[in-house]
Amino acid sequence: MIIVDEVYKRYRNDHGFGKWVLQGVSFTIPPKVNVGLVGRNGAGKSTLLGLIGGVDTPTRGRVERRCRVSWPMGFGGGLQGALTGRQNAKFVCRIHGHEEDLPDRLRYIEDFAELGEAFDAPIKTYSSGMKSRLQFALSLAFDFDVYISDEITSTGDAAFKNKAAAAFKALADRAGLIMVSHGESTLKEFCTAGIWLHEGQAYWFDSINDALIEYKKCLNR
Amino acid sequence: MRTSSLIAWTVWKALFLREAVARLSARRAAWVWILAEPIVHLVLLNVLFGFVLQRVVSGIDGGLFITTGVLGFFLARNTAMRPKDAINANAALYTYRQVLPVDTVLVRAAIEAVLFMVSALFLFTGLGLLGYQVFPHDFFQVMLAFAILWLAGIGLGLMLSVASKLVPEVGNVAGMVFAPLYLVSGVMYPPSAIPPAYQSWILLNPFVHGIETVRTGFFPQYHTIPGVSVGYLLGFAMFTVCLGLALHVRFATRLVAQ
Repeated sequence: MIIVDEVYKRYRNDHGFGKWVLQGVSFTIPPKVNVGLVGRNGAGKSTLLGLIGGVDTPTRGRVERRCRVSWPMGFGGGLQGALTGRQNAKFVCRIHGHEEDLPDRLRYIEDFAELGEAFDAPIKTYSSGMKSRLQFALSLAFDFDVYISDEITSTGDAAFKNKAAAAFKALADRAGLIMVSHGESTLKEFCTAGIWLHEGQAYWFDSINDALIEYKKCLNR
Repeated sequence: MRTSSLIAWTVWKALFLREAVARLSARRAAWVWILAEPIVHLVLLNVLFGFVLQRVVSGIDGGLFITTGVLGFFLARNTAMRPKDAINANAALYTYRQVLPVDTVLVRAAIEAVLFMVSALFLFTGLGLLGYQVFPHDFFQVMLAFAILWLAGIGLGLMLSVASKLVPEVGNVAGMVFAPLYLVSGVMYPPSAIPPAYQSWILLNPFVHGIETVRTGFFPQYHTIPGVSVGYLLGFAMFTVCLGLALHVRFATRLVAQ
């Protein structure tokens, strides 16, 4: 269960503070519920994912994680460009306390990512699709209760998307998912509930379809 | 559930291996350069000052005299300057909430300690084979002085890493300050060569105390100036480490922000 309580967030810029991105956002995500986050560009979707994932701290308010939450996967974050895919994978295994079964985890990551020889090439030579494959494989190698995905499925090819979908389906009975995507079909495929972010507020919908309807209504206005 | 200390320990181990790989594979034969930097520096200094020093420091070999000074200063300087950029260099890793900026700073300092030990061992073995008397008469005192110099480097590194992240210009200024500091740390000359009226000035520099303590431990017949105390350096180290850690706690959120 994840509890977001009266969260405010604004960023610091060169002249002090920017405008409020989130203004008093509150909701509770029950266990094993897949949630899609919708909202226009700049509405604060990635900010909210960062706060839930514990990468950033709210300016005010509180985020409570009562389960194991993954890091937010997306846009090449968490990978060091100069090191190879394998070296990055080893690092992530180690910080998650998997020193003993490192070879098993590495084999799983290598098999799932299907990068071939590129697994031993530096990350800076990867395309965005290849990075997504690696990040996705990395997060699946660990048993989280909630996985956070920031547009990670949008850069992969068709084969990868199918694989990702199958993997998430398989997880569905033991783990939840919080995802941002601009693909409506992706959201409908993966998510049951939805959160619509609009002008610093978050609106919870038990059905992702209702969230998408509200979101589109606001776009046409 | 893993405990906080266990998580910190695994993060340090993982970061250490990663930093070591990055350092050693940064360029072609990077390890050669890591070993060669102090050696080339020492050879040049010996050619320039070795002969002069034979007269100034009686009874002590000029080459070993400079070696002890350069090693002590480089240890403190590298431990302060390398971790300075650690926070930005590892920005991609704060995606994992286990990894904190302070971890990257401390791990880089540990890497510097290991590199120091390797290059010191290499250097003294080489000098020993050349016939120099390389065994310090008080091994424990020499190690203690080096350890405290390292600790002072960590303190400065912790402070500089926060300062240069918040105000990038501080990093440039720090680089400029270390160059003249080299000249007033008694690396190439004994502080006793300074007129007694001005000796109290050079004693304000904490590195002098560390370097001179290394030398009195190394050479039994070496006489340093009155007022040299390893306690002064230790106080400086403790103060900077505490202040540096406090800065890391105070600005924790802003250090992680992109």
